[in-house]
Amino acid sequence: MSILVRYALARFASACLTLFCVALLVFAAIHAMPGSFEDVMVPQGTQAMRDVLAERLGLNKPILEQLGRWLSQVIQGNLGDSLVTQESVAAEYLRRLPATAEIAGLATVFALVVGVPFGIFSGLAGSRRLVSQFSRLGGGLAMSVPDFVVGAVLLYLFTRYSLWFTVGNWVPITENLIGNLRSALLPAFTLSLLGIGLIMATARHATIGVLGQDFITAALARGKSPAVIVRHHVLRNAGIPIITILAIYSGYLLGGTIIVENLFSVPGVGRYLITGVLNRDYPVVQAGVLLAAFFFIVLNMLADILYALLDPRIGRRRG
Amino acid sequence: MARARFIRLPFRGDVLSRAAVVAVIALLLAGLLAPVLPIGDPEAIGAGPRLNGPDGAFPLGTDNLGRPVLARIFEGILLTFILSTVAVLIASVVGAIVGMVAAYLHRTADEVISRFADVLFSFPPVLLGLLVTAILDPGIHSTIAAIVLITLPSMIRVVRAATLDVVGRDFVIIAEIAGASFGRRLFLHLLPNVAGVIAVQTAYSISLGMLIESALSFLGLGVQPPSASLGSLLREGAIYLDIAPWLVFGPGAFLAIAILSVNLLGDGLRSVVDPLEARPLH
Amino acid sequence: MAAVAEIDSLVLEFRSRSGRVRALDGAALSVGDGQRVGLVGESGSGKSTLALALGRLLPPNAEHLEGALRVNGKSVFELDHAALRGLRRHELGYVFQDPIGTLDPTMRIGRQIEAVLAGTGKTASIASLLASVGLNDVRRIVRSFPHEMSGGMAQRVSIAIAIAPKPKLLIADEPTASLDASIRSQILDLLVSLCAAHGMALLLLSHDLRAISRYCERVAVMYGGRVIESGLTADVFGRPLHPYTEALLRAAPGQERIGGRIEPIPGLPPVLAGRIEGCSFAPRCTFAVDECRTRRPERTDHGDRSVVCLRATERADAMAGVPPA
Repeated sequence: MSILVRYALARFASACLTLFCVALLVFAAIHAMPGSFEDVMVPQGTQAMRDVLAERLGLNKPILEQLGRWLSQVIQGNLGDSLVTQESVAAEYLRRLPATAEIAGLATVFALVVGVPFGIFSGLAGSRRLVSQFSRLGGGLAMSVPDFVVGAVLLYLFTRYSLWFTVGNWVPITENLIGNLRSALLPAFTLSLLGIGLIMATARHATIGVLGQDFITAALARGKSPAVIVRHHVLRNAGIPIITILAIYSGYLLGGTIIVENLFSVPGVGRYLITGVLNRDYPVVQAGVLLAAFFFIVLNMLADILYALLDPRIGRRRG
Repeated sequence: MARARFIRLPFRGDVLSRAAVVAVIALLLAGLLAPVLPIGDPEAIGAGPRLNGPDGAFPLGTDNLGRPVLARIFEGILLTFILSTVAVLIASVVGAIVGMVAAYLHRTADEVISRFADVLFSFPPVLLGLLVTAILDPGIHSTIAAIVLITLPSMIRVVRAATLDVVGRDFVIIAEIAGASFGRRLFLHLLPNVAGVIAVQTAYSISLGMLIESALSFLGLGVQPPSASLGSLLREGAIYLDIAPWLVFGPGAFLAIAILSVNLLGDGLRSVVDPLEARPLH
Repeated sequence: MAAVAEIDSLVLEFRSRSGRVRALDGAALSVGDGQRVGLVGESGSGKSTLALALGRLLPPNAEHLEGALRVNGKSVFELDHAALRGLRRHELGYVFQDPIGTLDPTMRIGRQIEAVLAGTGKTASIASLLASVGLNDVRRIVRSFPHEMSGGMAQRVSIAIAIAPKPKLLIADEPTASLDASIRSQILDLLVSLCAAHGMALLLLSHDLRAISRYCERVAVMYGGRVIESGLTADVFGRPLHPYTEALLRAAPGQERIGGRIEPIPGLPPVLAGRIEGCSFAPRCTFAVDECRTRRPERTDHGDRSVVCLRATERADAMAGVPPA
């Protein structure tokens, strides 16, 4: 076990280092922007106004000092104030998180529930031409049709023929569960399509790969039935790459929510972020990118550790 | 019969990939030949009635300025293709060289390069695009930059892994002992062995690039008017979704077919480079 | 004597994108109850295909064209899936070349053995099973993952798993090829003693002619998808009737006399695209006459021995007066 703990610690340290590099990059990117903060905030301001602002935001300090100050604020959870509303960015993101988390979570569940069984089934049926071509086409479609195209089509259909779902009228889960589901299922479904495609393709590929291994031949040679082989060997071994693709999918989810929330008017973090980009509200953008990268890095780290738990070969080879 | 088959399609026995090849060629031809096809002028404001549904004169209807949608779609396809292909080719060349160098040099260079790829990889794709457009002004160059940065880390990782497989093999070691120069070893001995992997990754990246381009343009952060890509057409059309859905459905369908075709092409390439034989369980 | 396995004129081909390859071209072999039979031949001679065919474990692109294959009197190619599973479960045991690869990498050894014992319906404790293959540190082994074991230990576990249901025939396909030379004879000793103890027949596939002559009472030599010579090991290796057997013995390291030299067989073994007329060894054979290239040799019996060579009788007569080598 201690080897596994050591692996997890090493993975954690590496995640921290990556996160630090990401923070540096985000800071550098925002400061490399053409035009200064002052230009954005007080475009027609006098020199005196600009000086006051620079003094208040610490913009006249050396760059390294600014970086240090910003990093220590970030660690304390202070992500700055919005240039537009003058309110705390962190608080606003936190307020909007539940809606985003809900549709992203639902999308992940959909993607797993549909993608895993279909992927494994088509991998098992692999040699049959029709099934494999059909699953390739289905998986390819799910991956290729952009979420905003699917979303727009759904939006059109369901605004026209209401059909139980509500569009553009978000109901928080704390208010009314059924009402919440009516407004959450369509965006979640739209978001899940890419995941279904990714997970299906991965599960199919992994299943075919596992079936070609010697231990499957050995299990067949012992007279094991297909059901037993799938339960004992295929699911376990094919599950490992599915965890990795889930972590990668989470990254697409973070981007996808921006589009889907925009389309379906869900008051989540993605909508806040895109408004920030369009308004050139840099603290919002900076914090949004940093938070998204943070989530993504943490999820990938968890996936790697889970991976090592499931596949004893990883991480236990001498530390 | 032999004479009649003057065109030889790749991917023998792979119906889907062959269909994808045909679709990609057809879409590219449509984009290139759009100016001479009898579908109208994409820039002609008021060529027809405004927001007119599909009919005989305008097969996919007209937009809010009376421009023929089909002509605008064909124009948009070309821009979408060109943008993502140019961006991905940049990413492929850079990623291939950097990936090979990382795998070949080991140690510090590998550590630095891999860390760099990790950092880029930790930005969720569309968010990286947002960050880029927040810094640069939205437009064609920022879209290309975003696609390059998003597709680069996977290219580096894939090439690096494939090179690591090859580096230990005899012929590379022999070339090393024989004193072949670094560049020679890289391009003459390593490159041909990872070329297949690069081709597959490039195809997948192009389909991802098209997805990113259209997503950014849809959000208003990519291609800006008067240029039109499929994504920006969708953005314009989404405003009139209730009254003129064809403005979304037409470009949407073409975009989906284009991305799907490139994706299937990648599948086809992959099954040539790395064939997977499935076995039944009995 | 009752035969556990009987193969007659088995023809088997593999389909591939580039065409068909004939892996077995009329192979014939018989393994008697409790016999230990060695199967030798170069890579590509069809040994492994024959071994896998016994349990119908062939890859999906394999096609059975003609010939019979019986295990315990059951025609393997005519069984339905359930009966086939029964046959594999109760009557056949397989030991493969790569012991670590044949174990599931994600499961501890204890669970893998439990799963096997549950399937056989016979009660045997894991401890006694492991002890029977010479593994005494049971507590540690059941908690190990395959990659944490040495090749030799993993092969002992594979043998334990194969013999747990007490099959009638144990098929070992190069069981020591991936192991260190120092433990090869231990593993073979173990296999042979287990077969003797449980009355199992053994089909041992190997490149190692010395091991075959030491452990197997009978031997079959394969070439070009056929068994070209078979009989008692002492006879076949002592006085090879088929020129290929003779060449194989001369090419084998460790068999040379002092001052003699290893003589590699010139040329390459054939890859058959279909049935060939003539003898597949003729192009490499120093005894070949024109007829060998045009007439397909059929099996002839010489005492307890079968040979597939047009000139076998001639050679047998010539050898009758010569003492065994």
